Amino acid sequence: MVNTLPRIECVVVNDWWWTASCEYADVVFAVDAWPELKFPDMTAAVTNPFFQIFPRTPLKRTHETRGDIEVLAGVGRALAKVTGDRRFEDYWKFVHENKVEVYLQRIIHGSTTLWGYRIEEVEANAQRGVPALLMTRTYPKIMGWEQSHENKPHYTRSGRLEFYRDEDEFLEHGENIPVHREPVDGTWYEPNVIVCGAAELIRPKGPEEYGLSRDDLSVEVRQVRNVVIRPADLTRTRHPRAKDGFSLIYITPKYRHGAHTTPVDLDLMAVWFGPFGDMHRHDRRMPWVGEGYVDLNPEDARELGIEDGDYVFVDGDPEDRPFRGWQQRPDDYRVHRAVMRARYYRGLPRGVARSWFHMYVATYGSVEGQARNPDRLARNPRTGYQAMFRTGSHQSATRAWLRPTLMTDSLARKEYFGQVIGKGFAADIHCTAGAPKESFVKITKAEPGGTDGQPLWRPAQLGLRPGYEIPAMQQFLRGEFIQ
Amino acid sequence: MNHQVYNWQLGRTMAYKYPESRPPRQVAWVFDTNKCIACQTCSIACKSAWTSGRGQEYMFWNNVETKPWGFYPLGWDVRLLEKLGPQRWDGHTYAGKTIFESAPYGEEILGVEMSQEDWAHPNLGEDEVNQQVQAKAVYEVPHTHWMFYLQRICNHCTYPACLAACPRKAIYKRSDGIVLIDQKRCRGYQECVRACPYKKPMFRNVTGKSEKCISCFPAVESGRQTQCVETCIGRIRLFGFVSRPQDARSDNPIDYLVHIRKVALPLYPQFGTEPNVYYIPPIHVPLEFTRQLFGPGVAQAVEAYRHATEDLWLAGLLMLFGATRHIVHSFRVEGTLQAGTCTGFDPRGRQIVRVPLKEPIVIRDEFDAQRNVCRFSVT
Repeated sequence: MVNTLPRIECVVVNDWWWTASCEYADVVFAVDAWPELKFPDMTAAVTNPFFQIFPRTPLKRTHETRGDIEVLAGVGRALAKVTGDRRFEDYWKFVHENKVEVYLQRIIHGSTTLWGYRIEEVEANAQRGVPALLMTRTYPKIMGWEQSHENKPHYTRSGRLEFYRDEDEFLEHGENIPVHREPVDGTWYEPNVIVCGAAELIRPKGPEEYGLSRDDLSVEVRQVRNVVIRPADLTRTRHPRAKDGFSLIYITPKYRHGAHTTPVDLDLMAVWFGPFGDMHRHDRRMPWVGEGYVDLNPEDARELGIEDGDYVFVDGDPEDRPFRGWQQRPDDYRVHRAVMRARYYRGLPRGVARSWFHMYVATYGSVEGQARNPDRLARNPRTGYQAMFRTGSHQSATRAWLRPTLMTDSLARKEYFGQVIGKGFAADIHCTAGAPKESFVKITKAEPGGTDGQPLWRPAQLGLRPGYEIPAMQQFLRGEFIQ
Repeated sequence: MNHQVYNWQLGRTMAYKYPESRPPRQVAWVFDTNKCIACQTCSIACKSAWTSGRGQEYMFWNNVETKPWGFYPLGWDVRLLEKLGPQRWDGHTYAGKTIFESAPYGEEILGVEMSQEDWAHPNLGEDEVNQQVQAKAVYEVPHTHWMFYLQRICNHCTYPACLAACPRKAIYKRSDGIVLIDQKRCRGYQECVRACPYKKPMFRNVTGKSEKCISCFPAVESGRQTQCVETCIGRIRLFGFVSRPQDARSDNPIDYLVHIRKVALPLYPQFGTEPNVYYIPPIHVPLEFTRQLFGPGVAQAVEAYRHATEDLWLAGLLMLFGATRHIVHSFRVEGTLQAGTCTGFDPRGRQIVRVPLKEPIVIRDEFDAQRNVCRFSVT
């Protein structure tokens, strides 16, 4: 938000849900939600067997929206007027003519698993609730069936499973044989080192060959740092931030109650989003009826002076998080520094903390809302955007990393569609889409979890939380209420 | 409590406020705890259908909570168990006290009062295990570190504590066994909220009356299973009608699971209300804990379920869960475990649904000559 967005001239968002992306957009096109689609659409995924059709609906739109494809076509038409180049408009010809089935049928013709379907037929079936299946070689789809049963080649250069990579980039970075690389940030040990028990088999270019110092463990440099270490020696190293009180690997996986962020900010969903949900917001500090939290191993938490249910700060490496230059921008820092609840969670080993990644981040508007709104909701008074953090978010502590061997120009790989084996850049393989998912953090207490002068969050105070058990809870855990 | 009634779940008679009066039919559910992922689709489906109004915000007539740390409302069962104290089964006969038999002086039922804050956190304790996991731990069944998901709705009990507690007689049991609160008679005394050991009646301050799960009676009256059953993506639920043990029919799905194979058990039978939601207990949780929740039949139920894949009728019936929105009154399994089918029928014996016991694997020809296309696993 702070470092990147100012460099982008214009941000335009198509959305049917007011997300944080909309908060920061210059233009937001309000588009139809799936049940409102007036143009049929379709989708499929590698992980399920269904060919999913969205039939056009007779339902009225809830708001004054347009189909997302209409927005694109409309922009094209406007550009044609501005530039005089009709191709902008012609590109979307069948949208203008309300015949998007032509495009959908072309996609069907481009896919070996869909070939044979007629869009009119599958749309009519979908309207009656009849599903369609992808026509993969096997049902259910058994990946690698042809390779294991029919000796068909794998999708590699040699057609075999390959455990040696002789492309230049892999040799240069010491990944020509299977090695382990420590995470670039989310580790207790020296980040991004190549962990290899047979170091004589790899010859990576070391930091000096790039003109870098071997001691330079700054966040940008260590993305391309090729330093080999033997497994037994790894645990003797330390993360460079350990000396500053950083102690926890912070993981931010997906949660079961949302598909990415859709529709997590609905009250009915938010209240299930973790243990702190409360429709009545008895604690008015809550940004919404559910809120972001971090799971902590109880022993870790106690060492940090954190009780179950407390509000805590979650800080990533201060070199670049929550954003580069935060030291000079206290007002922005206040918005973007992560504050969330802590939960004692016995399912985590020591040294690991976890937050779910779907929650709605705090924005300038939501932080302003929580200060100004009479009900103290973290809701933007101008847009209605509802945050699930008081300030910042899990993303205040995480970032994306660039990995050289994930961005090569020499690797043989399958084309996105079809069976052709090509070489070099392909969008779904090489785009630098490293998800901001894990890091190394320092967690400190921000506020006690209790209200009305009580230091403890009420369920802990009543002895019904792990680490705070009253005798009856201990009996219950042991099954002693039946002798 | 001046009547003696027979409670088959306890294997004995017990005290109850009214004489035994079983309805001609009794609605019942079977929930397979082993298949639930606590996605809460049932909770949201129920809420969208029935409790989206003012004053109902906090209500979840259906909820799923993680045991042992999940409670909705806070500590609902631990608090009552603490009051009741440790109890005992003598084989399959309950040798302890029910909530009707252990009421304090001057009261009729041993109840627990909840404050508004106790209803605050419906997803408290989600995914939390009984004790701290250790790095590199290895687990065998039963697990030393465990949790499981408990799906909860009103039990539409045979001997409802809510009904017995209501000073207005506003709560009644219909001929199909559904327990309802008459909104015209209710005055909001909340005795039902206090008395129900499962804490499923809830007070609505906007109307000043109490409400509870209505077993989606408009659906049930037209032959359909309840919302929570129909929308379950994990297909863990089955709705139907349960008979008394002596009247059990082997072709009635609920009877088969509850009375014949005895794989589904009531929750906290020791409370004494003869609840009518039956649970296939989690097979990975130590019996010491599950016996406390599901009674003395739990070892046998776990054993039967663990061998379900070798049991033609049980395997077939488990495939009917979530296979149809209609109420299945009888079922039949034909064929073998590898190639058999299970068929569900309506009250008139007409086929509603037929499912394979084992999902077939289809291998397509590599070249589809009719459509002139090759088929691959990777598109």
